[in-house]
Amino acid sequence: MRARHGGPAFRRLSLVSPVRGLEARDARVTHNNPNEDHGQLLMACAKGDQGALQALYRLEGARLLGVVQRIVSDRAVAEDIIHDAFVNIWTKSHTFDAERGSGKTWMFSVARHLALNHVRRQYREVTVDDVTAEKLDAERSLAASAEIEDSFDWQGRGDLDRCLRALGPERRNCLFHAYVDGYSHSEIAERLDRPLGTVKAWIKRSLHTLRECLS
Amino acid sequence: MTDSSQPTPSPEALDDLAGEYVLGTLDDEARRSLEQRLPREPVLRDAIARWESRLTPYTSMVDPVTPPPALWARIDRSVSERTLREGTDADSRVAERPQASNDDNATPWWSALWQNLPLWRGVSLASVVAALGLALAIPLQSDTGPRYLVVLSTPQHTQAGWMIQAASQRDIELIPLEDFQVPAGKTLQFWTKADDWSGPVSLGLVDASGPRRLTLDELPPLQENQLFELTLENDGGSPLDRPTGPIQFIGRAVSL
Repeated sequence: MRARHGGPAFRRLSLVSPVRGLEARDARVTHNNPNEDHGQLLMACAKGDQGALQALYRLEGARLLGVVQRIVSDRAVAEDIIHDAFVNIWTKSHTFDAERGSGKTWMFSVARHLALNHVRRQYREVTVDDVTAEKLDAERSLAASAEIEDSFDWQGRGDLDRCLRALGPERRNCLFHAYVDGYSHSEIAERLDRPLGTVKAWIKRSLHTLRECLS
Repeated sequence: MTDSSQPTPSPEALDDLAGEYVLGTLDDEARRSLEQRLPREPVLRDAIARWESRLTPYTSMVDPVTPPPALWARIDRSVSERTLREGTDADSRVAERPQASNDDNATPWWSALWQNLPLWRGVSLASVVAALGLALAIPLQSDTGPRYLVVLSTPQHTQAGWMIQAASQRDIELIPLEDFQVPAGKTLQFWTKADDWSGPVSLGLVDASGPRRLTLDELPPLQENQLFELTLENDGGSPLDRPTGPIQFIGRAVSL
């Protein structure tokens, strides 16, 4: 188990906002135009314009460093990854396809996956097969507490809000410990004090729930 | 769930895999094998792109962390070096050159210089004229070994600012092509790195007002393609044994 600095996720308990709808709408308004800019800047990078890369760095460098540092829990490693991420963004900018997602999403994916590759390479985990996971889940599901609270302030940020609401707080916590903290299955299991198989099954089912909700 | 044991995974299983990849819960081996499949599996790529788009807005839960100024300088340097390297490769494939004879020693030095297209690409005509004028003014001294010329241009290759002429592999002269205003509290530091060196070496602080002669006694002889750059550092120069400030001018040695 790797050391985690601080664990800020656990200090953020849920605050249900009374103006949830407004927040969601605002988020969309403020994110739309910059997304188009990101895409255009990436296309300029593909044409060899280093000024465009610098503009992208000014727009997203701090946010990307935050996201990466949260996953790798080490400032120097995080800076190395941001360096590699921007070099990758530069060299792969010609593969960015605006039809398949926004430029901002593309940049965050590049940086996040470098960070995830780093932590997964360092901490290989013992895998549990799915059948065992299912069995453990059946045994333990009754024991799962219904009183767990949200550890993440997730509302009002994206279109997935509506579907995330369909999951219980503990399953949302699983998803965000993975997505935001970069935790492995076993790290989540340890953090939530749940069996590994239960956590694996929860995540899989949560993905199913989200997919059905979106379709 | 037995999807994963079937030879052809169902669309749901594929979408699960994409979702777990984006969440980050796949282990090292599973991540690698998935990334290897990506180039030939557009359906998987699309599924990943969908999960990325759904989840990226939630990265905003994480507080930004302001990067140190040196981080951009590092990125800029890596990208500049890469651009120079790739420029050489790409241009050697596509460039239309004034083709001289193929005899190994028949190419005149000015032709070799002219054919180094990445050197000139984007550099303003006026700077090219200035640089060439100076190069032509160097008396030819064929008995001192290979001679080199370096044009240092801005990282975006829009403007040549300095040139280096080397009468031998040890004696170089750094010449400003135009006025460069060094901001207060800052200084220009001169660096070089050959392809096979592990890191750059400082050639000292540079006064932008006039030419400066240097003898490379402590270093291996100047070689083809050796990188030179001027970075903007705080007064007194970089505190480390490598540049920490942004690149102002960068270029590579061409033998004449």
